[in-house]
Amino acid sequence: MKSKFRSFLIVLVLVVFTAALVACSSPAAPTDAPVVDEPVAEEPVAEEPVAEEPVAEEPVVEEPMEVMDFVTWYQYDENNEDPASDERVGNAYLKKTIPEFNADFAGKWNWVNVPKAWDKMTQELVAAVIAGGDVPDLIELGGQQTITYINNGALMDLSDWAKAQSWYEDLDPGAIITCTGPDGGLYCIPTAERPALTYVWAEHYPDGYPTTPEQFMVEAERLKSEGTYAWTYFGSTAYDGSGTGRMVWSLISSFGGTYDDGQGNMLLNTPENVAAIEFLRETIAKEYQPETVFAGGFVEEDSFKDSSAAAIPTGLFGYRYINPLTAPDGTKYEKGNENDMLDAIADGKVVMRPMFAPEGQTPGCNLDIQGFGIPTGAKNVEAAYDYINWIMSDLDRHVEFVIGPGAGFPSLKSAQSHPDMQTPFYQQAAIAVNASVCTNWAGSLERPAEAAPAIMNAVYKLVKEDPSLDIATELQSVQDEYNANN
Amino acid sequence: MQQRTALQSFRYRWRKSLPFWLILPTIVVILIVQVYPAIYTGWLSLQEREPGGWLYVGTKNFDRLFAAGIFPESIGHTVVFLLGYTIFTLTLGFLIALLLKQNVRLSGLYITLLFIPWIIADVIAGLVFRLLVTPDYGLFSGILQNPALIPPNGLSVLTATRPAPWFGNFPFPPSPAMIYLILAASWRALPFVTLLILAALQTVPAEVIESARIDGATGFQLTRHITVPLILPAMVVALFNLIIGGMNGVGMVFSLTGGGPGTSTYVISYLLYVIGWGQLRFGRAAALALLIAFVNWILIFSILRMTRVNESRR
Repeated sequence: MKSKFRSFLIVLVLVVFTAALVACSSPAAPTDAPVVDEPVAEEPVAEEPVAEEPVAEEPVVEEPMEVMDFVTWYQYDENNEDPASDERVGNAYLKKTIPEFNADFAGKWNWVNVPKAWDKMTQELVAAVIAGGDVPDLIELGGQQTITYINNGALMDLSDWAKAQSWYEDLDPGAIITCTGPDGGLYCIPTAERPALTYVWAEHYPDGYPTTPEQFMVEAERLKSEGTYAWTYFGSTAYDGSGTGRMVWSLISSFGGTYDDGQGNMLLNTPENVAAIEFLRETIAKEYQPETVFAGGFVEEDSFKDSSAAAIPTGLFGYRYINPLTAPDGTKYEKGNENDMLDAIADGKVVMRPMFAPEGQTPGCNLDIQGFGIPTGAKNVEAAYDYINWIMSDLDRHVEFVIGPGAGFPSLKSAQSHPDMQTPFYQQAAIAVNASVCTNWAGSLERPAEAAPAIMNAVYKLVKEDPSLDIATELQSVQDEYNANN
Repeated sequence: MQQRTALQSFRYRWRKSLPFWLILPTIVVILIVQVYPAIYTGWLSLQEREPGGWLYVGTKNFDRLFAAGIFPESIGHTVVFLLGYTIFTLTLGFLIALLLKQNVRLSGLYITLLFIPWIIADVIAGLVFRLLVTPDYGLFSGILQNPALIPPNGLSVLTATRPAPWFGNFPFPPSPAMIYLILAASWRALPFVTLLILAALQTVPAEVIESARIDGATGFQLTRHITVPLILPAMVVALFNLIIGGMNGVGMVFSLTGGGPGTSTYVISYLLYVIGWGQLRFGRAAALALLIAFVNWILIFSILRMTRVNESRR
């Protein structure tokens, strides 16, 4: 009797536990990456059940269509009106355009934005998709995150829908490649291209910014004797090795180097890469950069802001973050927002230049994109399509987006000649970028999130931590470890 | 009569089973928040995420983990961190507790002030410590980076390279950033340890101390042979907390050093964070989490066993 009762209790506990798990588990969300063949045609109309019995002479009143929320994840926050915020431009853009979108789609969609940290959005979305939790209807993303999303089945394939849109043929092919997955599917819609270049204090380089490493060394020595650093850059291993795609890639690609073999394998041990790292090692040994370049947290930008460093290789969009500025002649740009750099460029104090490259090589740079993705399991795909079309089908709106959160050049070829893109800033940037061959650092690597810290840790070890290490041996070891997991 | 018997029987069973019903909610909660995640982690460690969903890969995640160069390196960093963190915190905590026990003036105020680090979140404490030594700008950077004070080039804590290791690849001596991380982590853990030891010290009978003094015991002998053995259980509790906190805590590393410079503060918990949330390799992260849990168990059982042996000897 006693044992029966105990068995009953054990069974009861298990039943309660199972019931609790079932109750807590997510609704059956598709874990497979669904291929969206066609736009979902379902309209969010609250259908009335058809009455079996005829209702006498009552006029049928049509229910007004329910306004559905359209949820986006941006790194910007429309409610943040702090003029000193780093993300001021994007914040202001959302604040202006959310009401415009809601007015254009009145009675249909209500745009709700959820601000997310720029370096945590990928993780949050992938976790949400895997757990079957709530995902937004649209996210903004960078090209390097796309493959991570794809590997985790977190994005919808938009190929068929995108190809049917009027603006598709106008997209820059380079930008499309960045959004294309290993299976050939299009997993994001590129809106802006974000190349890297070098911001230079013109006064520190009166003979122009060096075009070769040899010239750079000469100029750097001169500047050092004047108490100025030749350059500052992000040389830290922080942010999951994001330095891999910053200055280090510009330098390596300018030396003709690469991180991959084009077949998905890592390729680090090449003479060009070794030469680039030897060069970087020498500049570090001679202290041509402030110590802050290795500290992370973007404190290295401060040396450019006060012009104690003469140049800073960074992304085109860096102008938004590097402020206020004090020119070498003491001129101050103190608005504390993106206009400081734009003003300094307009005054000729700051110029934009490509990375220097050895004789016979073309300067290289990283090319990232900004784009839109629709997460797997998004509830309101139709609204996301409408939103993308809203941005991409109207050139003015597209350019407004590019100048706002896009922070780069338009991905639509026809928008590149738009009057708003003819400012001194964009014209100079275009010259610098056109003088370079810009490619995405990850190339054919399918696990950039693993590759980035591995490469950056190796570079840091070789140039800073132990400059006596054999470069080729260390690069080969990192390459082998990565490729062993292919 | 029969009805009465049935009622009595029901009452009897109800009384017998009442403890079970009372404890049932707790059991259910434990099953949900502890047992289920543990089982799920075990399952996850055998899977890999593919675009189409989860794929069973057997022990491949463990194999890849063991093959990664950063794995043994991070174990080395963890050992160095744990040794420095536990020894430094326990010693300092013990000394401060001894001082506070002397009934000095304003000891209540000292204890209150001592609590401040304990109520600050790991991440915030890490950020504050980082700001203190940020190269060129930190509050202490002017002093530390002064070549006249620390020759030949001064010391930039967050970027200084680690010295050449003395024992093969084992990361000892640690980098300045690791030493700083140990100091910061100890600073935060010190209040808890100090108060725990102080409470234990106050339970040591004054008569025993007095007798030992009369017998001619010196201060060191008193501490070594009377005080420490009597407060050992509290020390063990403190040690448990320090080991588990040090082994699993990632907030301080994340905000203070970010694993750097290079990989010189890549402790195992930070590696877990990087694999799980940086690289989104949940299967491999789960495999590492299981290994960490296993090592935690071994450490705890070893300490328990050692202290039991000591107690039985006493």
